[in-house]
Amino acid sequence: MNSLLKRKSRGDVWFDVTNYSLLTIVMLLVLFPLYFVLIASFSDPNYIYSGEVWLFPKGFTLDGYERIFNDTSIWIGYANSILYATLGTLIGVAVTVFAAYPLARRDLVGKSAIMWFLMVTMFFSGGLIPTYLLIKDLHMLNTIWALVIPGAGGVFNVIIVRTFFQSTIPDEMWEAASIDGCSNTRFFWSIVLPLSKSILAVMVLYHVVGFWNGFFDALIYLNDESKYPLQLVLRNILVQNQVNSGMMIDVESYAAKMRVTELIKYGVIIVSSLPLLILYPFLQKYFVKGVMIGSIKG
Amino acid sequence: MKSWYKKAGILALAGAFVLSGCSGKGNSSEGSKNQANSSVEDTNFNKTGLPIVNDTVTLTMVSPKAALAPEYSEMEIFKRLEKETNVKINWENIPDTDYTEKKNLLIASGDLPDAFYAAGFTDYELINFGKDGTIIPLEDLIDQYAPNLKALFERRPDIKSTITAPDGHIYGLPSWEDNNLGTNPFFHVINKSWLDKLGLKMPQTLDEYTEALVAFKTQDPNGNGKQDEIPLSFMHMQWCMDIAGIFGAFGLPDNLEHRVVRDGKVVFTATQPEYKEALKYFHEKWYKQGLIDPESFTQDAAQYLAKGKSSDETLGSYIWWEIEEVVGTERSKDYTLLSPLKGPNGDQLIGRANGGGPGRGAFVITKANKNPEITMRWIDQQYEPYMAAQIHWGPLDVVFEKDENGKLVNLPLPEGTSAGEFRQKVAPGSGGPGVITFEDFGKVVDMEPRAQQRAKDLEQYYNPYMEKENYPSIFFEPGELDKINKIEPELIKYVNTQRGKFIVDGGVDEQWDSYVKTLEKMGLNELMELYQTGLDRYYANLNK
Repeated sequence: MNSLLKRKSRGDVWFDVTNYSLLTIVMLLVLFPLYFVLIASFSDPNYIYSGEVWLFPKGFTLDGYERIFNDTSIWIGYANSILYATLGTLIGVAVTVFAAYPLARRDLVGKSAIMWFLMVTMFFSGGLIPTYLLIKDLHMLNTIWALVIPGAGGVFNVIIVRTFFQSTIPDEMWEAASIDGCSNTRFFWSIVLPLSKSILAVMVLYHVVGFWNGFFDALIYLNDESKYPLQLVLRNILVQNQVNSGMMIDVESYAAKMRVTELIKYGVIIVSSLPLLILYPFLQKYFVKGVMIGSIKG
Repeated sequence: MKSWYKKAGILALAGAFVLSGCSGKGNSSEGSKNQANSSVEDTNFNKTGLPIVNDTVTLTMVSPKAALAPEYSEMEIFKRLEKETNVKINWENIPDTDYTEKKNLLIASGDLPDAFYAAGFTDYELINFGKDGTIIPLEDLIDQYAPNLKALFERRPDIKSTITAPDGHIYGLPSWEDNNLGTNPFFHVINKSWLDKLGLKMPQTLDEYTEALVAFKTQDPNGNGKQDEIPLSFMHMQWCMDIAGIFGAFGLPDNLEHRVVRDGKVVFTATQPEYKEALKYFHEKWYKQGLIDPESFTQDAAQYLAKGKSSDETLGSYIWWEIEEVVGTERSKDYTLLSPLKGPNGDQLIGRANGGGPGRGAFVITKANKNPEITMRWIDQQYEPYMAAQIHWGPLDVVFEKDENGKLVNLPLPEGTSAGEFRQKVAPGSGGPGVITFEDFGKVVDMEPRAQQRAKDLEQYYNPYMEKENYPSIFFEPGELDKINKIEPELIKYVNTQRGKFIVDGGVDEQWDSYVKTLEKMGLNELMELYQTGLDRYYANLNK
């Protein structure tokens, strides 16, 4: 029986060979740019520009990393990003889940009206300036709250989580629990949440990635450089490097500055994407399950 | 059908919310501002002398700041100003990289400070915000409360003419370091040690230069046995790295705008016969023979600068603001500047860069300001020449000291800092208010050493051959600006693409007529008329 299963026809072998080689090529296409960034971060920028860096680092140097580790603004940005991502994710996930669960229950009065109300915000928004005015009047300008509060409870996320609850927590479960004397709160904490780890993981990942990569809100709402998240610090390092006649005399320091930027550019990419690279594998197993579950059963 | 009604209803409702939200906000903020700080008593304000006010008055100002700079409230120069004037500034500093976005947001949302400092307002913003009343006209205030500015305008009527808007008002105050260092940004550099090695003399004419480039390519001057020499590299149509200056050898220098002035008339270079001759020469003699680095048309500054620092010396000739930055201090000994080359008809010319006048939008006062007189007197302090120098480069006893003639001379820099970095920390810098005129250099303040070197180089290599006139920085009306912005970007893009094509692929003779026709179709004549009108108005204002 076992040997019978193992035997492959010639067609199967060809299929495997073609399959593996195609997939290997695709994998290389995806991996090489990442690999290039890695070796470029260890190479002399002059060699990178003359196209001499290809498979191995050339002019091996740790200067870039040395600069990065000595640059306080990058580390302040790093700390800020971690803070914003953590707090923002906590608030965001909490609001999303708290909003989604009641909406998943059949016995909520006015459910469709609330849903409509939420849906409107998906299609219509006040626009940048009214939003800015609102944040300003709430006195949240130049504070962490301007970043973590307004975006909390995105409707799209609420819908995903609601669908998950609807499809995985049957009404019968609540009936059974309530007959045993379980309160709504207890049911939510002790039964619903433990059963929804996968969707929570997905939500955490969505939020963390969003906060980690986001820079626009920070650009608009923050004035104080010591509050800037990492992405904004990086943007400013890169934006500063364009030659124009406005700099006149300063063109001299330009070249020096640019050399530094070229030196740290790749290193900074590595350093800034490291946390997500580490986080992703741990959440990935939930990721596929969580997003797919609704559609499979629904 | 039902759901359609629903949607329409929601839409209307949402719209109503947005509208009411907006207008309601605008009114209330204005009301509250009117009630707040209306407490300037006449007895408190001194029309002349210091302090400006007897009891401290606070003003709010928004200003960009460089990455390394501290908050302006921490800056020595502003602390001194506060002590002298009794005017306390409540600084809102925005990192310069984000300043434009934030500034627009503040204005659009009506969240106005008393003034924008080192404001960087564009002409468009000055005149539009001036018209809708967001910023106030300043000429009367200058007249009454700004003796230093008035003195400056008397000495230099061109500055007043440049900053006056077409409607006759002054909305923004000037900022300028009139050092004449940018008159020719294209410094042409050649490898002197290669010339010596190959037994060639410094090229005087274009043909000699071409011969030198051929020798660089074929005779292996760096002696590594490979033909890896790059005879000439540049960056096509980029500020301070283009070959525009070399066009002068044919009698008409080019520039990035393709626009020069001769005898008060605006000339579009890229349709002139001299330009055509030049392109033909560059294709036939240079590109075809492989003397131009093909990457000259595509590379960015980082790639360009890396070429000077390859492990074997490979760069024969290049164009940049100065020698060192491209090849590094070590190698710069091998290179030397090249005067304009004599062309086939004996022309020896270099262009004079356009613009270069004072910045217009360095300081604006908004309608939210309840103390415009005090503000004007405060800012006027910074147009006193010695103060202006300190605003631009740094305060006395920190960056400067006075020598026996009362001139500001540079103090030695603190150990381990570069001049550029140090200045960012102690002064608002070149975008700040204050004008240091050409006459002030050498009398009030010394140029920094590198600037002095550049002035010397310009004097030695380029000034004798420089065009007399240029196109000044002119304040256009919004209507004119609209038209210019509609025509010019596309047109310049087309010219630049064709310029590259003519140099690389040749074919100037065959395609010239259709090229010129296309330009005319794109609105070249209208554009030149607009520029001519602007220029005529400028001269009319100047002679008023």
